[in-house]
Amino acid sequence: MWGMSIVSLILKEICHRKVNFVLGLLAVMTAVALFIGFFTAGAASERETARLMLSMGYNMHIIAKDADMGQFLMTGIADRTMPEQYLTKLASQKTISYNHLLATLQKRISWQGLDVILTGLAPEVSPPEPQGAGSKKPPMSFEIKPGSLYLGYRIWNTLGLNQGDRVDIKGKTFSIARRLAESGGVDDVRIQCHLRDAQEILELPGQISEIRAVDCLCFGETDDPVALLRKEIGSLLPDAQVFQTKAIAEARAAQRQMVRNLFAVIMPFTVIACGVWVGVLAIMNVRDRQQEIGIMRALGHGSGRIALLFLGKAALIGLLGAALGFLLGTALAQYFGPGIFKLTAKIMIKPELALLIISLIFAPVFAAVSSFIPAMIAVAYDPAVTLREE
Amino acid sequence: MVELKNITKTYRTRRGDVQALRDVNLRIEKGEFVVLCGPSGSGKTTLLMTVAAMLRPTAGSVCVEQRDLYAMSIRDRAKFRARNIGFVFQMFHLVPYLNIVENVLLARHSPGGLAGGPSAADGGTEAPKEQGAEELLRRFGLAERASHKPAELSAGEKQRAAMARALFNRPRIILADEPTGNLDPANAESVLGHLSEFHRDGGTVIVATHGPAAGRFADRVIYLRNGGIEKAG
Repeated sequence: MWGMSIVSLILKEICHRKVNFVLGLLAVMTAVALFIGFFTAGAASERETARLMLSMGYNMHIIAKDADMGQFLMTGIADRTMPEQYLTKLASQKTISYNHLLATLQKRISWQGLDVILTGLAPEVSPPEPQGAGSKKPPMSFEIKPGSLYLGYRIWNTLGLNQGDRVDIKGKTFSIARRLAESGGVDDVRIQCHLRDAQEILELPGQISEIRAVDCLCFGETDDPVALLRKEIGSLLPDAQVFQTKAIAEARAAQRQMVRNLFAVIMPFTVIACGVWVGVLAIMNVRDRQQEIGIMRALGHGSGRIALLFLGKAALIGLLGAALGFLLGTALAQYFGPGIFKLTAKIMIKPELALLIISLIFAPVFAAVSSFIPAMIAVAYDPAVTLREE
Repeated sequence: MVELKNITKTYRTRRGDVQALRDVNLRIEKGEFVVLCGPSGSGKTTLLMTVAAMLRPTAGSVCVEQRDLYAMSIRDRAKFRARNIGFVFQMFHLVPYLNIVENVLLARHSPGGLAGGPSAADGGTEAPKEQGAEELLRRFGLAERASHKPAELSAGEKQRAAMARALFNRPRIILADEPTGNLDPANAESVLGHLSEFHRDGGTVIVATHGPAAGRFADRVIYLRNGGIEKAG
């Protein structure tokens, strides 16, 4: 074995030329921090999108073909019903793109002197997750137990009803499970119950008035998601009509696209710039160490060992840069992410530990690749020339 | 034994070819102390580097210990150099971030040592290696400076440290390029004394210099001019 180990030589050289090391570290840290920052904030942005979708509601609506579309658009209630089996038929098709499906039965009724909307909600249907994909998607709507009611603000406030009170609707007794907060919208005059209960109250067994869906189609520039879905559903449910609340879908697509665009523009530029930065620093380091390389050559040290001095140093810079960049990137995402990605306080930006592992693997490789040419220059130095230059 | 046959070395530069060595024939016996003398640009350093297996001649062959250096692969040549040849330079070329013991240990190579530090056969562990380096530094009067960095040493101390490094791997041959060029007379005498000691122990010494001091220790002085041997004493 050689008298001095490679690691020992690398560490001693780093201590001797601190500025070169710190500048290299800064380069890798910058690249990793931006990568981590964007991905961490991007992941939070995806969660924000999901939250927005919950608050904005469903963006695909399927109603009976003979329902009056104009009335539906004005009131949000379809005047015709369709068989409940449509939902299971739709959900069981593997070719249909959807994220959430919800069957509802709605009708305006008069109750205790108030005009209200009775809404029956079936348990939400989500596509089966691929094996090992983790937990099922959380439901976007309430899951109401049979015999229970969720009352809108204006209803319980006007009638002085409390949670746990028992009330009758058309001869059927319910327990008030929840009093909903004021929404300032139609939900304030809504009574929500299980679909079975609504079907019983409205005497429409096995019928639903609407299937609501969150689509999972890509919103590329040339894609027409509505046409695609209409085509898919049209062949499956010939007695239904499909339409989309475009603003919601477009807002969602725009948010996803914004993250991708930012990432696509900034990351390659940053990675290339930081790679060049690391490479230039390595070249400067090689030039500073010409005579040292020459004497090592003269003492019989081989090309591999000399290349390792530089590649090993680069890998060490990459490893440390990855760890520090992860901390910095996470901190940046937490500080600037909410502003850039329009995140609300409800969405926590959490450290993405998987990204730390990715960085710890790829940053040393990235730094070593950036230092490859300088290392080869070092290997190619002719000791007879460098040792003569006095 | 070192034997150079019809050695020519031409450097290609932007301003044209420069012939550094012209058809040099030279034989240096084992255990000889040879001084290569001549003005700057006469080809001393080029000749030394050629013997050191670091500079392939444009034409001719160099045999050291009956082995044609430039018929070997680069890897074998590096190994041969590590085992058989020690270097001393005018500018010392100590690694600035290593202390003096570490600079000496940088020369350590496992197989085939001759004198000085412990060889692989001695066990080659870190402790005996360090002991060998420290012993060598004591011989060169640098025991107190072992943990110092080169920047903290005087020129004479640096050159003695470089001498210790050159001897650590028990080489057969020491090649010294202007080893006293940056030293005061007392330190120059000390360095030449150490080279002479190595020579007395059976080692071969080749010194390139344009000063007269080394001549007193030499078995033979060879004068170079314009890349050729002008006079072999």
